[in-house]
Amino acid sequence: MGVFKRPWLMLVMIFLPIAAGALLSVLLQTFGQPVPVLVFKMDIGTLLLFAGAFLTLIVAALYAGVQLQEREARTALQKALRDAERSRVRFLRRLDHEIKNPLTGLQAALTNLRESGSVQERERAAQNAVRAVERLSRLLADLRKLSDLSERPAERLPVDVPKLLEEMVDAAHSHPRYAGRTINLMVTRVPWNLPAVTGDRDLLGLAIYNLIDNALKFTAAGDSVEVRALEDGRAIIVEVADTGPGIAPDDLHSIFEELYRGANARGVEGSGLGLALTQRIVDLHGGQIAVRSHQSEPRGTIFTLRLPISGG
Amino acid sequence: MPQDGVKLLLADDDSTIVDSLAPFLERAGFHVLLASDGASALDRIHSHHPNMIVLDVLMPRMDGREVLRRLRRENIWTPTILLTQVGESAERALALEEGADDYLNKPFDPHELLARIRAVMRRSRPGERSLSNAWMLEAGELRLDRRARRASLAGKALDLTPKALSVLEYLMTHPDEVVSRERLLNAVWGWEYPAGTRTVDTRMAELRRGLEDDPAEPRYIETIAGEGYRFMAEVLGQG
Repeated sequence: MGVFKRPWLMLVMIFLPIAAGALLSVLLQTFGQPVPVLVFKMDIGTLLLFAGAFLTLIVAALYAGVQLQEREARTALQKALRDAERSRVRFLRRLDHEIKNPLTGLQAALTNLRESGSVQERERAAQNAVRAVERLSRLLADLRKLSDLSERPAERLPVDVPKLLEEMVDAAHSHPRYAGRTINLMVTRVPWNLPAVTGDRDLLGLAIYNLIDNALKFTAAGDSVEVRALEDGRAIIVEVADTGPGIAPDDLHSIFEELYRGANARGVEGSGLGLALTQRIVDLHGGQIAVRSHQSEPRGTIFTLRLPISGG
Repeated sequence: MPQDGVKLLLADDDSTIVDSLAPFLERAGFHVLLASDGASALDRIHSHHPNMIVLDVLMPRMDGREVLRRLRRENIWTPTILLTQVGESAERALALEEGADDYLNKPFDPHELLARIRAVMRRSRPGERSLSNAWMLEAGELRLDRRARRASLAGKALDLTPKALSVLEYLMTHPDEVVSRERLLNAVWGWEYPAGTRTVDTRMAELRRGLEDDPAEPRYIETIAGEGYRFMAEVLGQG
């Protein structure tokens, strides 16, 4: 009931009948003849009884209203707490899994280092240990970014999105793992160039890079990756699209959760925090992120970012 | 570069870290003294006068920051590395007040710690406060007021973004040192990511424009190909 949520509307509703009554009474008594409608006598005791009962009714109704509101608020709070607890447990379970694997690798590498006789095997064990440590460090670094994002003030300066996209595409190109891959960058320039968005250039860069990195990670050499940017007067829309295997419909609503790994993403390198980070950054800029994906032909995935234009 | 005879105090309450780092630093030629909490670190500094201090922040009895504040209040300027993150701009002034010469965030590669120790020792002059502890830095016509977060060139205020200013601050407090992009990211942004090195280059270009520094013939910031950047002018500190 929207009326109860707007105090001023409630006041109008309460006082409207009495105001209308008073107005009509004054009008009739000033301009018309008195018309008797109902005539009765009441002794003072009965009148007081009625007045008392009337007041009690009003107070009881008010009290019931307040109680009802409080109960609703309590139920909503309890639900939020239960949800938070559930997502905390889910997060811890996923974290346990993400730590378990590199730690097992590290343990095995250290055993080989201690027990193996050959120099080559010991060298390989040391390399494996370093790799496991790197994986754990990456996870830790991404976890820190997530917690930092909630605490740190973000920069609020004009950001040239096409320039940033160019830089991030270049950065992805220069990664040795993606050598030889093509990324098509398309930015609308007619009839005007894209306006600036206000925000933290480095954070937006990270958000966009994560999407490009994902697109490259989940596609093979023959697939295409496109980065597109346009505007609709209110926001700049950035799309990162690929012709990869697509995301399973069951995974689609969970991929922005921290440490969630969809069926496709198991065994793929990464902390499992990239999309959660991207979403957090987009939220921080008052923007939105959405995803569409098909696993049957024409297959692929499109991530869409909407970033509000400065002053738009 | 062997560090024979240089006394280094390593204070950390985690024995797995101390047990592995101490022999590593001994192999590098340091004479390593150990402390497992803040209070005993302070005692050992008073009794053994180390030449270099590496302090963890979270320690029982007295945390690393408090140990450092007390030392600086007693006018003891022994070069010190804090094992934590430098704060964001609001915290930066506080970080400056606590008086560390450098920061290193866990987890770190022991070789990185060694490189930092060597760099800090090379910069330090016994008994004197270091550039990291100075509020005002000057290099030629360039002035950086770290408290007011303002920079000027030949008396004219420079219009720099907070990030570019922090990059300048880091380079000026580490003059003549080759600072990698990854290290700048860690120190100024607080975290690294694959495309982050581009981010550093973008801010560096902004900084150079502000400083009117030609990358081909730099007066202040030199690019060391494949390694990073080096602040090449002589830096003087005040206060």
